[in-house]
Amino acid sequence: MAPLALMKRASECGIEWLAITDHNSMANCPAYAEAAKRAGIYFTWGVEIQSSEEIHILAYFDSPNNAQAFDIELYNSLLPISNDPDFFGDQVVIDENENIIRMEQRALINSSIWDIGQVVERIKAYGGYAVPAHIDASVNSIISQLGFMPAEPAFDVFGITASLNVSDWICKQPYFANRSLLRASDAHYLADIGTGFSMLLMETPCAAELKKAALGQEGREIKAG
Amino acid sequence: MIKLTDYMKAIDAVNFTPALDIGVIELEGAYVCDMLSDVMGSAKPKQAWITIMKHLNVVAVASMTGIPVIVFAKGNQPDDTVIDKATEEGIALISSPHETFVLAGKLYQMVKS
Repeated sequence: MAPLALMKRASECGIEWLAITDHNSMANCPAYAEAAKRAGIYFTWGVEIQSSEEIHILAYFDSPNNAQAFDIELYNSLLPISNDPDFFGDQVVIDENENIIRMEQRALINSSIWDIGQVVERIKAYGGYAVPAHIDASVNSIISQLGFMPAEPAFDVFGITASLNVSDWICKQPYFANRSLLRASDAHYLADIGTGFSMLLMETPCAAELKKAALGQEGREIKAG
Repeated sequence: MIKLTDYMKAIDAVNFTPALDIGVIELEGAYVCDMLSDVMGSAKPKQAWITIMKHLNVVAVASMTGIPVIVFAKGNQPDDTVIDKATEEGIALISSPHETFVLAGKLYQMVKS
């Protein structure tokens, strides 16, 4: 999704705050941050990390500098396998005007050598906020890979897929009753934008406030989208 | 049924749970999978579980399904937390340098002969 079209669609859907969470890379965050600014949409740097167990963990950063430092460490933890564009498409890095700056050669589809505990530990070390991605999904979720929630690492909030019927699902997964859930579109294409969202009651749109909302602190709140 | 100790010799396995009496474990097959959610619903007692997954949750899944032994393929080694928990739960942990295909193939051959 090109940044200008993405921001236009997000505006049409009434989205006020978004993060992009590409697989294992934040190389395109600068371009999308600038495009969001021009469109008057709040933007947070994010990434979807694939752990050695093939679990997807989302990381959000309020500091772009910390995010970039984390991104370098993450990149070095990825298995050194080259991308095959015939299977996975070209991995382009673009600028805010949608010019291609370079092509990423390493396969971002692959896993990090970090296990889930190490992923969360590294996110925290760089001041990021970790959220398990699409916890109800049948692939690449903590539940699909590990069977059930381990005691460690602990999370404040869990990502859910765009169309999940929460009350039906909780009957099968009682662990998540009374836990904070964050619904997102996980949009891969323009048409997915806005299919899943959350209403957040917070002072400013940032990861630190998201944490407070997840914990229900100081009047902050996440309302089901 | 074959003895775990005979299988271990065939696959050059190392035992990580020496506190357990693995001499009594007998196997009639294996379940081979790295997705714990699938193993939970499919693995059965008297099966070895062959995997490269070494998260602590493997012990709980083995315990739930009645699996007596987890075989870590490709030389994967569990950490101490996993070993301690497995010992406590009475689940043997062994590791072999061979790949999963070989580990499953050898066990199949031994069980069928």
